[in-house]
Amino acid sequence: MVVIRVPATAHPRPSTVQLLFFFGVAPRAHLYRVIAKVYMRLAFVIGMIMMNIAGFSQVKISGTVTDVNGAPIAGANIFLMDTYDGSSSLPDGGFEFNTTESGKIMLVSKFVGYKDFQQQINLEGKGVYVKVVMEETINELEAVMITAGSFTANDDSRRTIFKALDIATTAGATADIAAALNTLPGTQKVGEQGRLFVRGGDGSETRTFIDGMMVLDAYNVSAPNTPSRGRFLPFMFKGTSFSTGGYSAEYGQALSSALVLDSKDEAESSRTDIGILSVGADVAHTQSWKSGSAAAKIQYTNIKPYYGLINQEIDWKEPPVTTEAVAVYRQRVGKEGLFKLYGNFNRAHFSMYNHSIDDYTQKYLYDLINEYAYLNASYRTSLNDHWTLRGGASYNFIQNNTIAGVESFDEIEKALHAKVVADGSLSDKFELKSGIEVIQRSYRHADSVSMPVNLSGRFDESIVAGFTEADLYSSNKFVTRAGIRMEYNSLVGKASVDPRLSLAYKTGSSSQVSIAYGTFRQSPKNNWVIQNPLLHPEKAEHLILNYQYIENNRTFRVETYYKRYHNLIKFVDGNPDHIDQQGKGYARGIELFWRDNRSIKNVDYWVSYSYLNTERDYIDFPYAATPSFASAHNFSLVYKHFIQALKSQLGFTYSYTSGRPYNDPNTEKFNGSKTPYYSDLSVNVAYLPKPFLIVYLSCTNITGRDNIFGYEFSSDRGDNGIYQNRPIRQPAPRFLFVGIFITISKNKSVNQLPSL
Amino acid sequence: MAILLSVIAGPVYANDTRYVEAMQKSIQSVYSAKSIDELQTAVNSLERIASAEKVKWEPYYYMSFAFILMANQEKEPARKDAYLDQANAAIEKASAINANESEIVALVGFIHMIRVTVDPASRGAQYSGLAMQAFGKATALNPENPRALALTAQMQHGTAKFFGSPITDACVTLNAALQKFDTYKSDNPLAPQWGREMAMSLKKECN
Repeated sequence: MVVIRVPATAHPRPSTVQLLFFFGVAPRAHLYRVIAKVYMRLAFVIGMIMMNIAGFSQVKISGTVTDVNGAPIAGANIFLMDTYDGSSSLPDGGFEFNTTESGKIMLVSKFVGYKDFQQQINLEGKGVYVKVVMEETINELEAVMITAGSFTANDDSRRTIFKALDIATTAGATADIAAALNTLPGTQKVGEQGRLFVRGGDGSETRTFIDGMMVLDAYNVSAPNTPSRGRFLPFMFKGTSFSTGGYSAEYGQALSSALVLDSKDEAESSRTDIGILSVGADVAHTQSWKSGSAAAKIQYTNIKPYYGLINQEIDWKEPPVTTEAVAVYRQRVGKEGLFKLYGNFNRAHFSMYNHSIDDYTQKYLYDLINEYAYLNASYRTSLNDHWTLRGGASYNFIQNNTIAGVESFDEIEKALHAKVVADGSLSDKFELKSGIEVIQRSYRHADSVSMPVNLSGRFDESIVAGFTEADLYSSNKFVTRAGIRMEYNSLVGKASVDPRLSLAYKTGSSSQVSIAYGTFRQSPKNNWVIQNPLLHPEKAEHLILNYQYIENNRTFRVETYYKRYHNLIKFVDGNPDHIDQQGKGYARGIELFWRDNRSIKNVDYWVSYSYLNTERDYIDFPYAATPSFASAHNFSLVYKHFIQALKSQLGFTYSYTSGRPYNDPNTEKFNGSKTPYYSDLSVNVAYLPKPFLIVYLSCTNITGRDNIFGYEFSSDRGDNGIYQNRPIRQPAPRFLFVGIFITISKNKSVNQLPSL
Repeated sequence: MAILLSVIAGPVYANDTRYVEAMQKSIQSVYSAKSIDELQTAVNSLERIASAEKVKWEPYYYMSFAFILMANQEKEPARKDAYLDQANAAIEKASAINANESEIVALVGFIHMIRVTVDPASRGAQYSGLAMQAFGKATALNPENPRALALTAQMQHGTAKFFGSPITDACVTLNAALQKFDTYKSDNPLAPQWGREMAMSLKKECN
């Protein structure tokens, strides 16, 4: 006997199809419809009867919905589990509805941003009043973020200040990551080097990481006193996190700044990209399949034809020629795993003549061949709903063969970095990140001719590090991040411990303050370690206070910091053969940032200002002084305008940097002189005549200002008793770049705009 | 057998009628809602039905549709994205129940399309591709689905406008869509009905 129950709605009801199947009837749609027609009437009648019966035992359920602080929640969904009976809460948090259910039943309340509320109630024909108290969840939209020191550009996450696309579309940056980041506060413009100088730190104090793995020397080689470009093309990455201090315990071997790049997880479609540039050509192909993709790019750059056209300050023998190959492979493994392999291979050569400051007819050859390889393999998988595991290994190879006048030297640096990290959320309020890493680095330097100081030598350094970091959310308003990093260095034979702490508090729905403190370490530069392998890592302390307001495409941010350096390399009594680590320094400053993508239609602009006050007493400094790379005031205005009628995006960037100190041996005071200020107005135009075709034109320094970065002095006094000087200038007043980019793909609207 | 079936199917079908009636009321409140709050109330009633009817895709479909409408009303980009996240979560549940329903796949594409509008310059390349892929799949699953075609036309129109190219392709697709709006009849009483007005307003651009 089959018992057909009158649906007791407290239990999940079997569906029609399930029941038909139970009786061996194929659940076919037409049959279902026939049955439906025949029994509709009967069903309706039965239904009516049921409702009438039910009508006798209708009860009212009412109550209020509040958060834990007693504030009413409007719009929450309150209902009896597995029934249709329920209602939404009103603006005062109140609700009421009627039900025909009886007995013990679960009352559920749901609202986005809050944990589901459940309470069993007993319906015995009387009205029931329920006080629903809902606990908020920590969610991305509402939760406070740790923002001290960091600029995150990630198209996936929300409320970012800086977007991956900005790197490509900032005038004057010509798709160079460092040049684009140089328009953000916290950076100082050092025009003759092109690297990221952060808060009184020099270019080597900024470390680049790709998918968490360390990169040695992220910049292409360049002639002395000419700006270098980053090796890594922005379009490879889906996210960029640029930290000007106080960064996570995961990142070591960086005194001032961490630039963390996350490569793309997948390619949208197969495509071929061809670029014809005024300085070379490139071709790239991306092949994507269901669970992965592969991409390769070959680029050839030869500045020779360009240098023939535009007069250069440099006396080239052979202008730079670079051949570069980039390959990417990404494969999903199972449901949760992702494997990525990334390789960058580069060979560059140039040679030039340096002329004597005293006598221009005396010239010396400078010739450099650079070979570079970077390989990065990473794997990421979810262990379960709460834990993810990621790991990777990177290999770096750099070889420089240099001829400088009568001497020549060869350098080889190799590094292997391996890391495993587990990320877990133990609850929505507590996240934990722990990992271990090993960095194995070897450096060899061979001089062909013994110089006054022979730098020949080698060292092998092993660093073993462990870190752990916890994010504790007291509520959506307040978060504490506490981390610790331990590092053991084989050369010194000692371990170090670096604490890192950040707090962030939400002061309003769009504003927050955060504070960060931490200590950071980095091995001294290779030439010092060769001289004395027992040198301790150099150390920096950061203290940062930040206020940020983000609302509907407008951002305001102000940050102030204090930074201290310890253990810096210092010549004892000015003797370069005798070094110790008594060097020290400080940096402090205040920085402002404003971005507005709303007030003017089709216009996006941002303004950055940084004030820096810094002094160091290190290397050959006779006493504490401001180093020559540090400028007190840096200002940038970046403006982008999309003009539909012209099918073009126009942009300009104005940068200003106040005078930088330099040392004039003719004066008493060390680093007591100042260069004129630096300023630059760069423009670019991207013209899109067809969806798959882009014509790109950019020009730096359109006003042709003769910027002077510093002065070189002759080593001896001239006949008149003074040291002769020569200004360090821009290699050319302007850099003009023209490119045509064509994309071939099935989807004709795909173009290279995001990668430019 | 017939008697047996009558005993079984009767009460169950009573529920189905109840389901259809409750759904029709909720769907009507989605279509007629004017504010985010009204849409939230409609979503809540759909969510209640969904929690009781575990094998029906329609409640999740209309929840997702309502969240898309909320995203459309919201101006703040981060909140717009949050509504689209909720739309996505709902349509994934619908898809888990009936992966080959053309209407569901078309709505997935609609979500991608709205993602583009949050930040066309940054997201255009990625999400317009995903949207077109979904519309293509939806049309393949049911070539008669007017919404899949109307959304395709909308996307083609937006892309052409962005690049300043002619909207001819969009208008061809749109005409096909308008024709299907007249002819297509689903035997599901809860089948989506929206989209004709959107298509008609686009039609003005083609004249």
